[in-house]
Amino acid sequence: MALLEVKNLTVEFGSEDKPFRAVDSVSYSVDRGEVLGIVGESGSGKSVSSLAVMGLIDFPGRVTADSLTFDGQDLLGMSAKKRRQITGKDIAMIFQDPMSALNPCFTVEAQIMEALKVHEGGTKKQRRERTLDLLNQVGIPDPKSRMTAYPHQLSGGMSQRIVIAMAIACQPRLLIADEPTTALDVTIQAQIIDLLLKLQEDSDMGLLLITHDLALVSEAANRIQVMYAGQLFESGPADSIFAAPRHPYTQALLEALPERSEGHDRLRTIPGVVPGQYDRPAGCLLAPRCRYADDNCIKNRPDVTDFNGRDVRCFYPLNDQGQPTGQIDGQSTGGTV
Amino acid sequence: MSFLDTKPGIPLLESDDLVRHYDVNRGFGKPNATVKALDGVSFTLEAQKTLAVVGESGCGKSTLGRQLTLIEKPSAGGLKINGDAVGNLSDKEAKQFRRTVQMIFQNPYGSLNPRKKVGQILAEPVLLNMDQLGRKEREERVRDTMAKVGLRPEFYQRYPHMFSGGQRQRIAIARALILEPKVIVADEPVSALDVSVQAQVLNLMMDLQEEMNVAYVFISHDLSVVRHIADDVMVMYLGRVAEKGPTEEIFIKPLHPYTRALLASAPKIDPTQRVKAEPLTGELPSPINPPSGCAFHKRCPFATEECAKVRPELRNFEGREVACHRVEEIA
Repeated sequence: MALLEVKNLTVEFGSEDKPFRAVDSVSYSVDRGEVLGIVGESGSGKSVSSLAVMGLIDFPGRVTADSLTFDGQDLLGMSAKKRRQITGKDIAMIFQDPMSALNPCFTVEAQIMEALKVHEGGTKKQRRERTLDLLNQVGIPDPKSRMTAYPHQLSGGMSQRIVIAMAIACQPRLLIADEPTTALDVTIQAQIIDLLLKLQEDSDMGLLLITHDLALVSEAANRIQVMYAGQLFESGPADSIFAAPRHPYTQALLEALPERSEGHDRLRTIPGVVPGQYDRPAGCLLAPRCRYADDNCIKNRPDVTDFNGRDVRCFYPLNDQGQPTGQIDGQSTGGTV
Repeated sequence: MSFLDTKPGIPLLESDDLVRHYDVNRGFGKPNATVKALDGVSFTLEAQKTLAVVGESGCGKSTLGRQLTLIEKPSAGGLKINGDAVGNLSDKEAKQFRRTVQMIFQNPYGSLNPRKKVGQILAEPVLLNMDQLGRKEREERVRDTMAKVGLRPEFYQRYPHMFSGGQRQRIAIARALILEPKVIVADEPVSALDVSVQAQVLNLMMDLQEEMNVAYVFISHDLSVVRHIADDVMVMYLGRVAEKGPTEEIFIKPLHPYTRALLASAPKIDPTQRVKAEPLTGELPSPINPPSGCAFHKRCPFATEECAKVRPELRNFEGREVACHRVEEIA
């Protein structure tokens, strides 16, 4: 059984009669020892879906799902008190900006010990020793002197290590990392990702890596999910999803990357922008920007289907040559915005 | 205005040992410390070329941008625009030169005044720098520039909050272009944008370069973007140049150990391009108290005793400039 099982997770904001769906029936599962990468542009719902798993969506946001289970326990059905015992202990999260994730008023030691106190107990001395262990584990040089440091005395990379130490303090079985390296430099990013993957391997944790960086996720994850405007567009194994994309959006994203183009050629862009709250298309959400879209795409919304072992939300998934399949010739209208 | 014309044989922008130090207060009773944000940077930029400045945060990329746009005066060293020294001009004289070097900022959400309409934002530089133009001509110029960067005419009366990030960056680009500068300093112009929008903005910048013959100083930390857009690359580390040369050569065969580490730590989609290298240990040292000798020696896998003592100067090697004692052995 998978560690985390999410089926048709939907998160809505706004009024009951005209809700805004930030996340629209997203399903996925994370196993022990697995790294699942979620990629998408801003506004694709990748962060909101993970906040929903953590139970951090406050009123007036509404979280519904056919099932949201962690290790067989139903997260949505349980009492708030019981859920608090799981989140922070068995499921931990790392946030994007380490500078604002730490409380500026407390020392590193106090902040890590707080998590330990809530979930593990023990005497103050034991907790302090455990904190020192953790700082060693995340590779902080001279951890003894850093214990009493305040967040403003630490660099960005160092702060992110503290946040990671805090997240793994209670030996979680699932770690959600929401853009853990976006605020950091490339050399520090490489260090932090190496650290996360090492911790994940050592303790056989499940890791949910959320990022907008396609290259990063392709290197780090076992499986990848591509999200767009709150919907899951494509999911599959990391080594094949970018080698042979099945969804036109994945294909277009890859073509928009500068590293895919030769010399001073122009990049192949995706016209327009991600639809916002008020301009969601009636049919496929990508239809106005998709170069293969036809009347069917503009009118009807596709479901997730299985295509060559890949989950794809498209009427005309792409074949190995990158051409749409199942489309009637001559009907394609192409992107018009 | 003859000084605005490009002079043949003279580089458009020439920086000679540019230095910028800041004094920082370290608290009551302690002497002020000096941050060497920029510590001797030289380069030349030819017309219509793109020079990329690459490095981690704190390496002086943005400080360099501030000197080039004459926002700040350098502490020492010379800066020439079109062959004219501009380092120590009075404010009044500097104003004339600012037209030739314009800037695009990183965050389009912070760089546009939320209380002004797009038309007003774009008209302001014209109002200040081309006072001979009448109201009609000014508006015409604004509308022309908007068309050039792909903004629809009806946007003239709209406020910045009504636009997406990519469109705001187009407004920022239009504002930089409206005075027809020779050089545009773009400080991380696409790092706040999504991949699909980033591609649109990069294409626009390249199109405009061909159309309007501007040169770019492209400050960025994203190596794949740099490889795509730049003719030359300058890698900076702690206020000094580590390596400088033509883009393709640097990406194919980086010479300086820091350039190598930078390239190796950037993740790649194509599994065949991935370089399995030990990631760089440690972090950028404090510019208040930089290491002795080569600033990079504490993180460098090739460092010797010499590196800890003697600061390497930039020197020619295989048609490039590299600041490393051991470049012959490493290459």
